[in-house]
Amino acid sequence: MEIAVIGNSEFILGFRLAGIQKTYAADSDEKLSEHINKVLQDVNVGILVLNSKDMERIPRRLRATLEESVRPTVIAIGGEEGGLSMRERIKRSVGVDLWK
Amino acid sequence: MALRDIKPTRSELINLKRKIRLSERGYKILKMKRDGLILEFFKVLTEAKDTRGDLLDKYAKAVETMALANTVEGAIGVKSAAFSVAEIPEIKLKSKNIMGVIVPEIESSKVKKSLVDRGYGVLGTSTVIDETATAFEELVEAIIESAEIETTMKRLLDEIESTKRRVNALEFKVIPELTEAQDFIKMRLDEMEREELFRLKKIKARSAA
Repeated sequence: MEIAVIGNSEFILGFRLAGIQKTYAADSDEKLSEHINKVLQDVNVGILVLNSKDMERIPRRLRATLEESVRPTVIAIGGEEGGLSMRERIKRSVGVDLWK
Repeated sequence: MALRDIKPTRSELINLKRKIRLSERGYKILKMKRDGLILEFFKVLTEAKDTRGDLLDKYAKAVETMALANTVEGAIGVKSAAFSVAEIPEIKLKSKNIMGVIVPEIESSKVKKSLVDRGYGVLGTSTVIDETATAFEELVEAIIESAEIETTMKRLLDEIESTKRRVNALEFKVIPELTEAQDFIKMRLDEMEREELFRLKKIKARSAA
């Protein structure tokens, strides 16, 4: 299995340096959704890395799917986004805000 | 189950008693499962917080070195180096079982590469590129680690939520309704017995007269 990265060209360049091949440049919103859908279909992708700024631009519905998704696991980096959605989930399931 | 749907018979009472016993046993077991899951969750939680912090730090560092590389080498220099990196970090997904929850265990082939393995020429590029590559390799390692932990958390949270719902449904809905029905049947049976006794007395009095 592989790791996939979606983001603007600057974001993905670094991951290319680390040897990741499945990097998709997405500079417009439509491209972003398109690439995400493509990666979600790809059975070879184990982890999907996104920029949290892009995460905010994704349509709400797709974002919900991404947050629930287990295979591939979606990780947003840069900013606090990942923590925030996790925080919501913890609040809902345990009933107490345990994140930080 | 509304009270008027219950037939006040002895066999129904026996059935109800059996049902109550079963639901109480289920309730106890599910409650234990819920507590166990929450304990597991706490274990993962501290770990997840650590890896999150780690990930953010590494990302900040990686972005910084990337900016540096872009200024020193120019965007095209960095890009050409990036495109010549040949080795793909492979990850393997295995699964682990935590209290009935299937949780992934991610194993990765080594992401960090030595200078020579990276694929771009050592002579043609400067050290900033190497530094950037190292920073991003470290970032990828952190991502892999936190992907495993975050998926575990997601799965555990889902399971906790559904178990909690089940426990609450049993505690506040199913068991009270069953006991209510049981009480109703008991009352009706007693009432019928008293009626019967009274009727017998009445008949006895009439035949004696």
